[in-house]
Amino acid sequence: MSVDQERSLEGWDPGLVDGPDLAYVIERAFDYRGDVTIVRGDGAELVGYLFNRNADVQEPFVQVFDRDRDELVTLPYAQIRSIRFTGRDTAAGNSYAAWLRSREAAKVTKPASGV
Amino acid sequence: MSVPVSQMWTVATYVLKQKLKGRRRYPLVLMLEPLFRCNLACAGCGKIQYPAHILKKHLTVEKCLAAVEECGAPMVSIPGGEPLMYPEIGPLVKELVARRKYVYLCTNAILLEEKLKAGLFEPSKYLSFSVHMDGLKEEHDEAVCRDGVFDAAVKGIREALRRGFRVTTNTTLFDGASAIRMQMFFDEMMELGVEGMMLSPGYNYSKAPDQEHFLRRQKTNELFSKMLSNPKRSWKFNQSPLFLQFLMGKHDFECTPWGNPTYNMFGWQRPCYLLQEGYAASFKELMETTRWESYGHKSGNEKCKDCMVHCGYEPTAVDYAFASWKGLKATVAATVTGKL
Repeated sequence: MSVDQERSLEGWDPGLVDGPDLAYVIERAFDYRGDVTIVRGDGAELVGYLFNRNADVQEPFVQVFDRDRDELVTLPYAQIRSIRFTGRDTAAGNSYAAWLRSREAAKVTKPASGV
Repeated sequence: MSVPVSQMWTVATYVLKQKLKGRRRYPLVLMLEPLFRCNLACAGCGKIQYPAHILKKHLTVEKCLAAVEECGAPMVSIPGGEPLMYPEIGPLVKELVARRKYVYLCTNAILLEEKLKAGLFEPSKYLSFSVHMDGLKEEHDEAVCRDGVFDAAVKGIREALRRGFRVTTNTTLFDGASAIRMQMFFDEMMELGVEGMMLSPGYNYSKAPDQEHFLRRQKTNELFSKMLSNPKRSWKFNQSPLFLQFLMGKHDFECTPWGNPTYNMFGWQRPCYLLQEGYAASFKELMETTRWESYGHKSGNEKCKDCMVHCGYEPTAVDYAFASWKGLKATVAATVTGKL
């Protein structure tokens, strides 16, 4: 399983995952600057920002700031069935290019001094 | 060099104590990020791209102070986000000053005049406003993607100086920067009356809006050599002269990622202020479980290849100054003569 590293993952739903695919999706979610929806083993869903993961410990886990309950949740990998990239990717888009375009447009529309 | 003698003495004795204790890895400056919220969205910044519910959160003063105690570094830098938007910034700074920590409050200064007039801070040798200034008016406003910010910052600096505060500037340089324009900027800042200036090349944040203008190593050496090869006596830099010489290509330093450890609402950031490869629950865990050998220029890590940023290399320069007579001699010579 792999996705285009350059494209935003906003809206991505990799479906049910386990093993190396789960580890891969968690890595992508960790790098993602938007909220995700985690589906647990019992079918319950958790929406929030996944800010940490650790696969180097006996029981690998992720850490999520729950969007709705304003609390930090630690969840073992073993309890995760799927992760959907449901929140807006706040690092997507090119705001700098947009700023440059608007600045250039302002220069063009501004009358030259002394005219 | 413009660092006050008392601060130099504090840092020198702290570093020597670490050496005497045989500590190979020790923190020099704690990077304390109480919030990620900012009133700017700068082209080269990858620090603020988070969902709204994360941007609304901030650390409590108690958590900040616990991190300061746990870390033990003699200096605390408060970046962000914009720290002047942190509702508890006044009480936090007061507590840090009471603990005799040298505080660098890193601000874009848009709110500085307002907060000073509100009486949020008191002048102290322990407190310095480190104002973000990426060059002359044209360059700075372009770097922060908003017109008028340079003028607002200058107004804030003037007000802070008038009230007797220590003020320094911090400048991040990107590809395309003009050495001559930067020298004009140094003149302007010194005329304004700031205590000293801090310089660093930018880091290629993968989340930054502008991905095209980061300096590569060779270009960094060329730009800093042009800017600083014949420095005016009037220019004062609030940083290690050996770090500036490193940027000019005169030293081959390795990164010290643990030198400026970072604490924020996610925990202790691995491995440094710039990279986010995970979080540790405690400072001890950060120091003991981070794979430090995987980072730095010589590690071959692609993310570290072009990095020459102050938070990784200034601690190296400071350590080098105290690790050998050669380092100490070079530091003293640059400090006394002003030559880099």
